[in-house]
Amino acid sequence: MKSPTPPRKKSRFSFKLPGRPVRLIVLLLLLGLSGYIYYLDVTIRDAFEGRKFALPARVYGRALEVYAGLKLTRGQFVGEMKSIGYHENPQPDQAATYKNTLNGIEFTTRDFVFGDGTQPPQHLRIEFADGKVSLLQVRGSKDADLPLLRMEPPLIGGIYPGHNEDRELVRLNQVPKMLTATLIATEDRNFYTHWGIDPRGIARALYKTVTGQRIEGGSTLTQQLVKNFFLTPERTLTRKANEALMALLLELHYSKGEILETYLNEIFLGQDANRAIHGFGLASYFYFDRPLDRLEPQEIATLVGMVKGPTVYDPRRHPDLSLKRRNVVLQIMENQHVITHAQFVVARRKPLGVVERAPAGTSPYPAFLQFVHLQLARDYREEDLHSEGLRIFTTLDPFVQHQAEEALQSRLAQIEKRHRIAADTLEGAVVVSSTQTGEIQAMVGGRDARYAGFNRAIDAQRPIGSLIKPIIYLTALEDPQHYTLITPLDDSPLVWSQPGTTDWKPNNYDRQFHGQVQLRTALAQSYNVATARLGIALGVQHILDKLPLFGIERQPPPFASSLLGAFGLSPVEVSQLYQTFADGGFRTPLRAIRTIVTADGKPLQRFPLNVEPVAPPGPVYLLTAALQGVVREGTAQSLVNWLPAEMNVAGKTGTTDDLRDSWFAGYTGDRVAVVWVGRDDNKPTGLTGASGAMTVWGEMMKNIQPEPLEPVMPEDVEMVNVGPVSGLRYDAGCKSGALLPFIKGSAPAETSPCDTSSADASAAKAEAKPGANQDTGKKNWFQRLFN
Amino acid sequence: MKNRSSWFFAPAWLLLLAGCASVVIPPPETTSPSGTQQPGEAAVIAPVPKTAMSNNRAVIALLDQAQTDNESGRREAAGSSLERALRIEPRNPWLWLELAQLRLAQGQYAQAITLAGKSNSFAGRDSLVQAANWQVIGQARVALGDTAGAEQAFKFSADLAQQAKADHDADFKLK
Repeated sequence: MKSPTPPRKKSRFSFKLPGRPVRLIVLLLLLGLSGYIYYLDVTIRDAFEGRKFALPARVYGRALEVYAGLKLTRGQFVGEMKSIGYHENPQPDQAATYKNTLNGIEFTTRDFVFGDGTQPPQHLRIEFADGKVSLLQVRGSKDADLPLLRMEPPLIGGIYPGHNEDRELVRLNQVPKMLTATLIATEDRNFYTHWGIDPRGIARALYKTVTGQRIEGGSTLTQQLVKNFFLTPERTLTRKANEALMALLLELHYSKGEILETYLNEIFLGQDANRAIHGFGLASYFYFDRPLDRLEPQEIATLVGMVKGPTVYDPRRHPDLSLKRRNVVLQIMENQHVITHAQFVVARRKPLGVVERAPAGTSPYPAFLQFVHLQLARDYREEDLHSEGLRIFTTLDPFVQHQAEEALQSRLAQIEKRHRIAADTLEGAVVVSSTQTGEIQAMVGGRDARYAGFNRAIDAQRPIGSLIKPIIYLTALEDPQHYTLITPLDDSPLVWSQPGTTDWKPNNYDRQFHGQVQLRTALAQSYNVATARLGIALGVQHILDKLPLFGIERQPPPFASSLLGAFGLSPVEVSQLYQTFADGGFRTPLRAIRTIVTADGKPLQRFPLNVEPVAPPGPVYLLTAALQGVVREGTAQSLVNWLPAEMNVAGKTGTTDDLRDSWFAGYTGDRVAVVWVGRDDNKPTGLTGASGAMTVWGEMMKNIQPEPLEPVMPEDVEMVNVGPVSGLRYDAGCKSGALLPFIKGSAPAETSPCDTSSADASAAKAEAKPGANQDTGKKNWFQRLFN
Repeated sequence: MKNRSSWFFAPAWLLLLAGCASVVIPPPETTSPSGTQQPGEAAVIAPVPKTAMSNNRAVIALLDQAQTDNESGRREAAGSSLERALRIEPRNPWLWLELAQLRLAQGQYAQAITLAGKSNSFAGRDSLVQAANWQVIGQARVALGDTAGAEQAFKFSADLAQQAKADHDADFKLK
């Protein structure tokens, strides 16, 4: 607001019309100033042209696809509708309304422009039974089943040009006449007649200020627009003069309509965390959750009232001041015949009616948005991204994201309590992706998921410990002549000398050595020494050279200690690694963006998706069986406290020196997830992979309700029943033994009768087949083809 | 899980040992000039009804849409419908085959080969989908100039198609 102008300054403007020589001097001065004016002209035109259509990119989460049979509860569906701004209404026939019924919900969707076309609004009915959608119908004179409904995707953030400015662009002809009339009546009654500055307005303002009636600004809308372009706190006369000059220049170049339209889209009307709310179009949604043309008179008055001071008259923060100001504007509206007296009386009695909304900032999912930024640079051409108003459709699933955030928060608090760790010292990160498509469904960058700072899912590179081991075992299993799941490995003390580093003496977590152990057991129990020896036999460099194939670009140091994960990776890099194991050896780059559509609805060209087979399916199938052993009988067996054994989860724990990092990476039939838990200052936590990260993983997955893991058995794999300890092939019909997958031809040839007296017999017959949907006997034509 | 054998009894199920049809998406013109049968080009599989590819009506609706888009040259849109279907049934080999065929039609031969391989990894005992996958692989190899590799792929395809026919006949007799 303007401070009262001290009277002495008035004298500067009130000198009498000067004589001829003085006029000459003034003329010369004006000539001298012409360069300056030219500079101002260029500046203001640049600003005007540049801001005229500066539209942020909108980022959407995945659109929920609904169909009969989908696993979805009524509660989940209502949550989804609320997240996209649906309101309950007893007559759910307007767009974005719904009504609960006995068995389900009746609702009406909005029209929405997807990357592949417009979807019109639909009147629908959905019903639920047993945690699934039991019916999906179009409501009409005759109801008809609908095979598939794509809901509107939730808006999860924006990417803003300039200084985090957000706006919803409106055209002048979309703006209600009442709004423009109120704006002009309140702020600049001579808008349509002045030339950018309004001497009468200034005089009136000065008069009222000086006589102490009211402190009033004399700025025209044009001047306010100029001021808004160059928002600075400074309020000097020079600045005022510059603004006035620029306002005159603007009026020279542009029509009243263009200036008004730009003003309506440009004016600053509030702050939402680090996002600036610009323009009436967005303000209408931000304060009233409705488009401009559905605002009532008192709501228009509230918004126009805010122009005078968006912070002071913020209806959420200062409702009393805002209400007073609104009523002043309503009075002006009546006086200037924008509304009738009757309308005035009704409107004045109404409450402010601002919708409750927690400030969301630029996005409620900052970690995921950061990943989107990275992928924009990776998958799209720089020049395409400069076009404005892009709509970015991403893979984020708010339901999965919510479960990941909740599990991390609640588990870390419980772990701190239970392990007597100081509160709020543990941190963590979670990445969840879809197994077969590589789409990132959730990403949590820390305990405070809303904090848009350090993103541990991407930026924290922590030693991965035993999470590296599957690469070593996969390398071994790719050589079925020498390695099967039951090949004995040596877990006796090891000293390894390598030039360039000190002697390396790996130790097991339990400080014991276990002699001869089967390969699958060494992985299940995460024996370091046996694994190190296996890796050295296969070749340290040979194994490390495989990492780029699996999408790990970082090169670990070429030392044997790297075999036990003595190098850092981020959770998202670990996700990429396990994605390939989960997807049968196909590497699909993890992705966060499905498609980008320009403001006029054209999809942007992206770099093509590049699925690559990087490991043969047979050995990957065996590895999955071994990783299921980790969960069934190894270091992750307490996962059963969260997920039933029938889930057949495959996973691996990771624990680093002095218990600094706690990891768990695992996969189900449809999802791959990685959790890291540790401290930002890298001090020991006292947690193993199983006591820390795995519990977060279990809690999260329990709530997500994943599909069980049942990989299809590749043609070159067969199931053979062997003695669990002896490793000898058992006769057919043996009730005891372990049924394990082997690459055909690699199973032990030597048979033994079902020896019920041996140690083998004490172990109940266990089946270690990753899937349960394959019979083994019948055909081998595929093998004939290839052998 | 869908019943993998249900399609055996679909009335439109047909197997031809020569011809130029494909499952849904036509191969690029360069590999198969109309009317001429290339030497070594193997069994080609007649259209499989969509109800045999999935018993989820949402997936079938998306397959219909992909077909419409593809037939009117909107290949990107067809791809996006197939991806939507794959999100619903990510382990359905027929959908991966459709995507492989689309990439083939788009001239993305290496991806067509990989996606057909991925389809095979979900195919289990379904020889018919495997035969179609090897057909895609063969055509992509032709386009990439790998004649020997293509011959081999067409041979696999023919054998698998015969196997599928034998399986079908056996199942039919059992009925």
